[in-house]
Amino acid sequence: MSKRKQPARKQAAPRPTVPEPTVPEPTPEPEPTATPTPTRAPGETAYDGSARDLTAPAEVDYDDHDLLGQADWVIGGEAARKARQQGLYAGYVLFLGALVYGLPIVQAVFRTSDATSLGDQLRSPVAIALLVASVAALLGAVVFAGRFRGPVVPPMPWIDLVLPVPLDRALALRRWWRYAAVGGIFVGALSGLTVGAGLAFAHLAGVGTVVVTTLVGTALGVLATRLWLWSQVRSWPGPDRGLSLLWRVPDALRELHAESLRAHSANTSTMAGSALTGNLRTARLALTRPVRHGRSARLRPGRPFGVLVRRDVIGLRRTPGAFLSGLGLTVLGGAIVTWAFTQPAAPSIAATIGLLPLYLGFGAWAEGLRLQADNVGTPSLLGTGELTEAVAHVTVPTALTVLVLGGWVAVAGAVGSLPASAPLSLWLVLVLVVAGNVLAAFRGSPTFMLRPQMVVAWYAVPALTVVVLGSLIAVLTKAANYTWLSVVSWLVYAVLAWAVSKVRRLTYLHRA
Amino acid sequence: MGAVAVLTGEVRAEGVGKTIDETTLLLPTDVSADPGECIVLRGPNGSGKTTLLRIIGGLLVPSTGTATIGGREADERDRTVRAAVAALLGAPTTYRDLTLVDHLVLIDSTWGGDPATSDDRSLALLDRLGIAHLDDRFPHELSSGQEQLFRLALTFSRPASVVLLDEPEQRLDTGKRQVVAELIRERTESGGTVVMACHDPELTATLATRVVDIVPAR
Repeated sequence: MSKRKQPARKQAAPRPTVPEPTVPEPTPEPEPTATPTPTRAPGETAYDGSARDLTAPAEVDYDDHDLLGQADWVIGGEAARKARQQGLYAGYVLFLGALVYGLPIVQAVFRTSDATSLGDQLRSPVAIALLVASVAALLGAVVFAGRFRGPVVPPMPWIDLVLPVPLDRALALRRWWRYAAVGGIFVGALSGLTVGAGLAFAHLAGVGTVVVTTLVGTALGVLATRLWLWSQVRSWPGPDRGLSLLWRVPDALRELHAESLRAHSANTSTMAGSALTGNLRTARLALTRPVRHGRSARLRPGRPFGVLVRRDVIGLRRTPGAFLSGLGLTVLGGAIVTWAFTQPAAPSIAATIGLLPLYLGFGAWAEGLRLQADNVGTPSLLGTGELTEAVAHVTVPTALTVLVLGGWVAVAGAVGSLPASAPLSLWLVLVLVVAGNVLAAFRGSPTFMLRPQMVVAWYAVPALTVVVLGSLIAVLTKAANYTWLSVVSWLVYAVLAWAVSKVRRLTYLHRA
Repeated sequence: MGAVAVLTGEVRAEGVGKTIDETTLLLPTDVSADPGECIVLRGPNGSGKTTLLRIIGGLLVPSTGTATIGGREADERDRTVRAAVAALLGAPTTYRDLTLVDHLVLIDSTWGGDPATSDDRSLALLDRLGIAHLDDRFPHELSSGQEQLFRLALTFSRPASVVLLDEPEQRLDTGKRQVVAELIRERTESGGTVVMACHDPELTATLATRVVDIVPAR
């Protein structure tokens, strides 16, 4: 027998107030407001065992807290308390992580031999614009995520068994919102504290900055969580979808449809399942918005390579979200990486920070490449070889990335010095980003025992390869160590060869 | 794709069987088809028809026996075999951002179709299958029957001397089954070889040059 505690108030059944339960008596001449003639069979009783008339108009007063207490007791017992304890533990681990890893990393980011020059650059309009763009991109990502997985995702039994009960939905869903809200505040504050402390320790700002960044981080955490909820509400059609829901949280919770909650819960399972089994295609297809526009544009026939390239162009035209997210990430990553390679005051680790958005931005434009990998194992429909197809599919993202990086190099050249080594190093970074994305698209399925840590490592290999080798290029470029840089450049081309071999291997691996 | 030898549509599967670990998917089976023939594989669910088609298409290595296309080992890695075999075995992966006609134009172009008439050919094929009015739809906007017709269009839009079809009649109404029968007949009359698994007795009677009964392993 479990030690579940029964709620203090045991009486959860709805208390009928008007009218009092009475034995129905047919009236000879009913008044306009009188009870309609019962349609039940004689002797039929209400659910509570009384013989009152179920067809009579009545108002039933529910005690929401009682209903909720009963539901908790029946379904979860002490699950809510345990969930709170788990939340507290997660917060504790996060805090330790920020202290042990976050603070040193932020310090390393801003540590430089020329603090004054770096301080001036960080206060420049370009840096502020990039900061604003990064925050906007982060909030945009939160809104995007909320369409598939909002902050309020109760377990399925709760959705199916408790939500249909006529209790206030804001109350029934409040606890999941509170978990997310507290988590958002905590993560925001911790991020602000880490960044502020890092700046202060690197002597780029005073101690007062720590307070300011913590407050700003907290505010952003609150805003992000509310935008997340707002996006979840908007993922299902309904009358109240305005921005005012941002400060009307109970109303936003009441707007959440049971089917929407079920869909978000299913999406959570799909994402978790796909992540743990290494099946990214399922998650991608389940979570991407179906293409519905741009259908009047036609794919122009032509030579095989050209038509494959045009396929990717038309694909980006029809998925502007993918194009814009790719553009945002590449512009951000390209700016940071170019800054790291062209400005002597920039710390080497800036390249490490910038490589990830650059890599992800390229990936957002490389849907054709992923679809080629998805097709592996099916009878061939296209008349091109696998390598020709892969090269065609990296053409558009590579051209767009070259445009972005070229733009930033031009800006760097216009505003200051442009070391001759920078374009060469950026070329290596470009090759690395292309190779990394080919590796990621053709990573196939994990062939090892599926343990979460190993799956995470398996996912991270392409991105880690790009980030580690790219950072090495940045360090060697800044140190003007061209001997070792040439060695690393061979490593970069080795990664490209590895990617090509992966394309071949995966294409024919299925034939077993 | 470079210069690729054109294989004739001679399909030979001699004693091909498939066993994975201790589970037998297909007992040793013989299938022989010459250009202009339509061979129908018949058998209960789980008897190994799809496995046999995958072996003939070079997608699966047989545990016993050999399979050849035009005298060459059936191996999908061989570009000559790939160029010879068009197959509808399960659902092909489609591009979610291409319309139906775009898909056919893409396939036609990658097989060296004349760009000037690629659109016309693609629309004509969709028209034959009764889905020309859906030419600007995306694959996810189709019903299951329309989806099957689209898959058949994808398979028939590419040149091939051998066509492998796994239950092409599934999810189609009687009228559409006749359309598919016409397409298959045209393919065999033009010298192509068709090997297909089929559960429809009427379609089998109409098309089959020979019927191969697949004996289930258990």
